[in-house]
Amino acid sequence: MRNIQITVNGTGYSLLVNEKRSLADFLRKDLNLIGTKIACNSGHCGSCNVLVDGKLVKACILPAVKADGKKVLTIEGLATPDGLHPIQQAFIEAGAVQCGYCTPGMILTAKALLDRNPDPTEEEIKQAISGNLCRCTGYVKIVEAVLLAAKLLRTAERSGQ
Amino acid sequence: MAKKYVGQGIPMLNAVEKVTGTMCFGADFTLPGVLYGKILRSPISHGRIVKIDTSEARRLPGVAAVIAGPELDLPLFTARGQRIDDDRVMVKDKVHYVGDEIAAVAAVDEETALEAIKLIKVEYSELPALFSPEEAMQPGAPKIHDHLPSNVADHIEYQIGDVEKAFAESDIIVEDEFYTGMVHQAYLEPQSVVAQWECTGKVIIWAPVQVPQSLRYSYARALGIKPEQIRIIQCNVGGGFGAKQECKIHPIAALLSKYSGQPVKIVNTREEEFMATFPRMPMRIHMKIGATKDGTLLAKESRFIGDNGAYTNYGIGIMVSAITRHDNLYRIKNIKTTSDLVYTNKPATNAFRGFGNPQSHFAFESLLDILANKLNMDPAELRLKNATQTGDVTPYGWKIGSCGLSECIEKATAKADWQRKRQEKKAGEVVRGIGLACCLHVSGNRTFLPFFDGAAAFLRIDEEGQVTIQVGEPDIGQGSKTVLAQMAADELGITPDQITVINVDTSSSPHGLGTFGDRVTTLAGNAVKDAAVKAREVIIKYAAEKLNVPKEELEIEDGLIKVRGKSDLRVAFKDISQIASYDRGGGTIQVTGTFVPQDVAVVDPQTKHGNVSCAYPFVAQVAEVEVNKTTGEVKVIYLSAAHDLGKVINPLLAEGQIQGAVAQGIGFALFEDLKLENGSTESNFRKYRIAKATDMPKIDTIFVETDDPNGPYGAKGLAEPALTPIAPAIANAIYNAVGIRLKELPMTPEKVLAALKAENN
Repeated sequence: MRNIQITVNGTGYSLLVNEKRSLADFLRKDLNLIGTKIACNSGHCGSCNVLVDGKLVKACILPAVKADGKKVLTIEGLATPDGLHPIQQAFIEAGAVQCGYCTPGMILTAKALLDRNPDPTEEEIKQAISGNLCRCTGYVKIVEAVLLAAKLLRTAERSGQ
Repeated sequence: MAKKYVGQGIPMLNAVEKVTGTMCFGADFTLPGVLYGKILRSPISHGRIVKIDTSEARRLPGVAAVIAGPELDLPLFTARGQRIDDDRVMVKDKVHYVGDEIAAVAAVDEETALEAIKLIKVEYSELPALFSPEEAMQPGAPKIHDHLPSNVADHIEYQIGDVEKAFAESDIIVEDEFYTGMVHQAYLEPQSVVAQWECTGKVIIWAPVQVPQSLRYSYARALGIKPEQIRIIQCNVGGGFGAKQECKIHPIAALLSKYSGQPVKIVNTREEEFMATFPRMPMRIHMKIGATKDGTLLAKESRFIGDNGAYTNYGIGIMVSAITRHDNLYRIKNIKTTSDLVYTNKPATNAFRGFGNPQSHFAFESLLDILANKLNMDPAELRLKNATQTGDVTPYGWKIGSCGLSECIEKATAKADWQRKRQEKKAGEVVRGIGLACCLHVSGNRTFLPFFDGAAAFLRIDEEGQVTIQVGEPDIGQGSKTVLAQMAADELGITPDQITVINVDTSSSPHGLGTFGDRVTTLAGNAVKDAAVKAREVIIKYAAEKLNVPKEELEIEDGLIKVRGKSDLRVAFKDISQIASYDRGGGTIQVTGTFVPQDVAVVDPQTKHGNVSCAYPFVAQVAEVEVNKTTGEVKVIYLSAAHDLGKVINPLLAEGQIQGAVAQGIGFALFEDLKLENGSTESNFRKYRIAKATDMPKIDTIFVETDDPNGPYGAKGLAEPALTPIAPAIANAIYNAVGIRLKELPMTPEKVLAALKAENN
């Protein structure tokens, strides 16, 4: 067991963690943040993707102790009391959500992409989400959602929000 | 009345929960005091258990219960309504495949449960294992189930018309053999459960499932208790595709709870999913078709062998669907079929989107392409010439109330630029080709469930005018809650967001058969519509009293009840809801809607005759591929999918169903393959590849609305047939590109290269 200091969605935690515990299990079991999904637990599907210091990581294969001292953003940290994040809004409007199990990981993957590339092409989006498996949608509307989100974010930026 | 919401592509009503991560799926659900269960699975394919010792596991600190099949006297059972009792919640004395449940542990955490599992000692006496049905059918083959007469679970043989005569009259006969492999539903949310066995003898099971009401009956028999002792509470489902029906982790969790006195949670690992859940039934299909020179189909003879795996589940129903359904796609009158469903020492197969249909259509639609080629005829023309039409009664007695097959073929080919692309010059290393395939399906299916058909809905309007609907058909991620709310909104004259369709709880929901067989939109939809019409009558009655006008003069629009033609006489839906509630001592408006399709019959066991569904959807799809002759790789670059779904209730969600089916169809066609390694199908998402974003082609979806007389607003099923034609369309496109005929799925680069090599020799 090791003590870690970690900030998750803006809240600071100081907790004893088993060295073997993955970040995904830590979020789900120790912090009760069930929005981070586990589908393969081997780093092959992207359902557990979260941002650690702004970088996309697969939380199921990253030991929680490696996130010591870092800032983690999970799906629960994206919306504000004022409303949904534009990426979330875009996923709803574009019909990019079916069962919803891959959705949190997919949205955070989209965020990582749009943070570094605010105006991606369709091909760049497909490449960026190619590590995220979805069994329901066939990805078409997810790609459309990310394009729409990029547009919404650019508009928001121009209007100085 | 004009429809305001039916036909609109409104986003899923519960999407906010999904994009914010607040939706609690089965795998997320838990209870205070929960223990974690793990299962000891057989490491061998076939053998007797000589000895089992659980004592060390029981002594491990933190272990609350250890149960073992050989130590419990668990009854034989099978899925509800099915014929062969060949399964037990945990094995008694013999294991039948790698993954078979032997024992289970409940402990304070998963780590302790896993450690305890490793402490259980089992001694086996191995038996020869059978991995192919052909081998298992041989006389003298070792028997997989001691108490059954042979390894053939079911044999079917029937003839319609005079096949011998029709073949004799045929100008051209084509014949070939096809094989479809073992593929997995691979939903992202693993199978999961929390169960609590109360001291009163009642058991509550929380699980993400498609058929909650039926599970009570299956598990009552599996556990040797009464159905009324079991309550199933459906959790949100993270994808099902047919797989989330009976699953032994549910009754195992119940037993662990019984022996530990605490609630128990089990979540499958992805490796367990591939090893011990319910892949699509592999089939070997030999088929022969006879036709006249002008392309009129005269005769068809088929032989199917289905690889059942270790247990039957819904296997007989899958086989009957596979062997009969495609015969109703074209006007063909002379049909002879035999089939064998055969046990092997592999995972028990079960339902997967299409229910046997993708297997048979791969063979049938490939063979029709071969026939068209022999006739030197456009494959689209051959299909159009023979296509089933509205009003047909097929040789199986199917009454085709609406059929847009011809229109689907015409529109899908036109959109894909079929004529030009088909005749393009095929040269170079990377060659393009185009292929067509069709299919039909059902909207609810009476092939394999004898009890009843139809659906029911409970609809309640509270004193604030908010509507709650219960059906027996869970939303498994496809968005049926939204579609049903759209229908009710139009009938009640309110907005869909005032309507909540809630998950199934067997203690309060209607006794619905569940979500499968493309039955939800059509059957549950009709029931919801009926309920909404009845509730509207109650609202109108109170409004007529309030406004003091005859009820015939009233209409509801945008939440207002108005006197037709008089804009000043109106009252809010919400206010009437309150008046109605207060008038009934707080009792809200509650109605039951029902739909029992007329003229639908259970299939005759001998002849397979019977109108199995009230509405039949039809599909035509055209795939365009690029075949790399050096690497053998096939890439699907375009797909046009024309669907006769009767009526589109929600085009946004309907497109999503088709696009998702394309992804699954491409996987089925080109790379998904649950391979056996040392008898085991254990795998993960690295080895078992499903389609990624980069595998997807451009897709054009085309809706053909034929307005079925039995569907709500004319709507028929959609999700399952969307997958069925993809594999044969791709196979036919490969033939068009490079002249090779691939007859085994998946069509991997190795198989493409081998066929190209054979073609050149």
